[in-house]
Amino acid sequence: MEKILVGLKRVVDYNVRVRVRSDGNGIETDGVKMSINPFDEIALEEALRIKERGEASEVIVVSIGPSEAQQQLRTGLAMGADRAILIESAEPVDPLSGARVFLELVNREQPGLVLLGKQAIDNDNNQAGQMLAAIWGCPQATFASKIDIQGSTATVTREVDIGLETIEIELPAVITTDLRLNEPRYVKLPDIMKAKKKPLDITPIADLGVEMASAYTNVAFDPPEQRTKGVMVQDVAGLVDALKDKGLI
Amino acid sequence: MLLDQLKTIVGDKGWVTDPEALEPFLSEWRDSFHGRAAIVVMPGSSGEVAAVVRACAASGTSIVPQGGNTGLCGGAIPDATGTQVLLSLSRMNRIRALSPADYSMVVEAGCVLADVQAAAAEVDRLFPLSLAAEGSCQIGGNLSTNAGGTNVVRYGTAREQVLGLEVVLANGDIWDGLRTLRKDTSGYDIRQLFIGAEGTLGIITAASLRLFPRPGTLQTALVAVRDPQAAVDLFAVLRGRLSDQVQAFELISDRAMRYVLKHIPDTRCVFAEASPWYVLLEFSTSAAGEAVEHELLQVIESGLAQDVVLAKNSREQQQMWRIRHSISEAQKREGASLKHDVSVPVGAVGEFIVAAEKAILQTFPGARVVAFGHVGDGNVHFNVSQAKSADASHFLQQRDAMASLVYDIVAKFGGSFSAEHGIGALKRDALREYRSETEIAVMRAVKKALDPHNVMNPGKVL
Repeated sequence: MEKILVGLKRVVDYNVRVRVRSDGNGIETDGVKMSINPFDEIALEEALRIKERGEASEVIVVSIGPSEAQQQLRTGLAMGADRAILIESAEPVDPLSGARVFLELVNREQPGLVLLGKQAIDNDNNQAGQMLAAIWGCPQATFASKIDIQGSTATVTREVDIGLETIEIELPAVITTDLRLNEPRYVKLPDIMKAKKKPLDITPIADLGVEMASAYTNVAFDPPEQRTKGVMVQDVAGLVDALKDKGLI
Repeated sequence: MLLDQLKTIVGDKGWVTDPEALEPFLSEWRDSFHGRAAIVVMPGSSGEVAAVVRACAASGTSIVPQGGNTGLCGGAIPDATGTQVLLSLSRMNRIRALSPADYSMVVEAGCVLADVQAAAAEVDRLFPLSLAAEGSCQIGGNLSTNAGGTNVVRYGTAREQVLGLEVVLANGDIWDGLRTLRKDTSGYDIRQLFIGAEGTLGIITAASLRLFPRPGTLQTALVAVRDPQAAVDLFAVLRGRLSDQVQAFELISDRAMRYVLKHIPDTRCVFAEASPWYVLLEFSTSAAGEAVEHELLQVIESGLAQDVVLAKNSREQQQMWRIRHSISEAQKREGASLKHDVSVPVGAVGEFIVAAEKAILQTFPGARVVAFGHVGDGNVHFNVSQAKSADASHFLQQRDAMASLVYDIVAKFGGSFSAEHGIGALKRDALREYRSETEIAVMRAVKKALDPHNVMNPGKVL
């Protein structure tokens, strides 16, 4: 195939303790470490390996997000992607709108494969890949832990609840990646510097002419309830007493 | 009689006499020191500590204070007589005050270091002391040994984090010196006496600590360098250009790296090709991410660094630190080892490592030097593993001979035979040998003045 399109979402680094903004309208991201969504980084690593095996000739990384998402795209370019596209949107984009944006890019770029993380660790929606496959009218293989490309066929091992499922799909297709697929590479400083010169195209989301779905609105953001400290009970009788004290039995 | 008295003072939760339950208190994790004690008392307050000290002093019984028992020099392990009272500060683990506006907090001695860090982070402040044992070591022990760790290059050792102390003296008096002042010239600065004294002058029961603004996002990099001297030169250049942004600068030898990759699960190679030496670098990038990249590129171009990998997320940062923090554990799996926690002037680190390795190989053929440490502050963990086929116990018998060899070279460079682990029971002879009579006489005078009956951790330090 010629091209692989990879989605890279800018998210709060997985190791940061997330806090609700003081105005209650979202998550605090000011001064917070941001990274590529880990599942997306795995998708990019896989795309690069497919290219390095000679089964694709170009890897394009795409992000939908604020101007700062250029940082994540530059990191993707430093890992080895050939060029980057930022669809700039100051506002968060829901999965269906995101899928539509990708469909528009698919129509323009005609990739043989779209590789996406199975979900982004910010909203945990796990929807964009499936929706894209549906509106594109192409096969999908989700939760991939192994991908083997032979010509226009992909053999994909999927991590499902009952174990591992191996399926074969025709390309072009959407594949979403799971954690065990690969371990993304480190980036060396010289590659980071080279990546600054690779093409990065920025398009305001409004210019795409894509209909933005607004199927839902955020009502409120609340931090999880603080857990109260546990108590040690001596024995079963103590447990029963403690539960009775709390009026639970 | 004394035991009953002590049990009454500390109450039911505050003592252990069952031999099996005592065991974890009586030996160090590296298994080098074993002691005996009839009782471990765990007072719940400074008042109880004071009462314990008074009771012990009255009966002429000596006391060994202990924190998280993560020490390496036997400082918190009682002697073999079984007559000493072990006093664990573990139950004194409250944070008494936390004042973000004042950039200070007051904590009890038994607080685990990681909990202190977390409490500060909770109010958007940094408590910078950080070391491998931070998940179990306690702040009282950190101060009593003047611990160092990985952030010393920017923030200094444990001593520099202390604004004030509360100490139970040998006569059972409680000195409340929990001031949080930055400037205070009122007489002798007696808190400094207790820091690094390893419990031989009194028992630290609480401390007021200095907090810092949280640094911006931390960037972590692994740098391949040709030799230790290149690491020293690299440090000079980067610190000069980036000043306080450099938070950590850790040297790792290829051998240390290989042992970690071989023995520690979930570690992976960072560079495809091995380099003889590596530096783990951490800097804060409040506004200067680009500047850091630019400076690092320059050091590659000038030949000081061979290659640089920048962590692109916190997972990779943790992977890099895991390598650094796993060296001791990995070295353990390579057989017996002898460790030398030494420091030399920062500029001399490169020369010292080369000279010491040469001397070791001449005298102990086949021994494997595993050098690593905090180049940014001149602290080298100059550890030596036994030759592959050698007999472990025979190798360990050479402890003193090897230590003398290393310490003599350290002395030549104007260094210290004890950088951050303290003296404990392990290095008392070295203290006498490498410090002047004048210095020792002053130490003895201080000890005599504060603990005339020698009840505070006797047999340690002096």
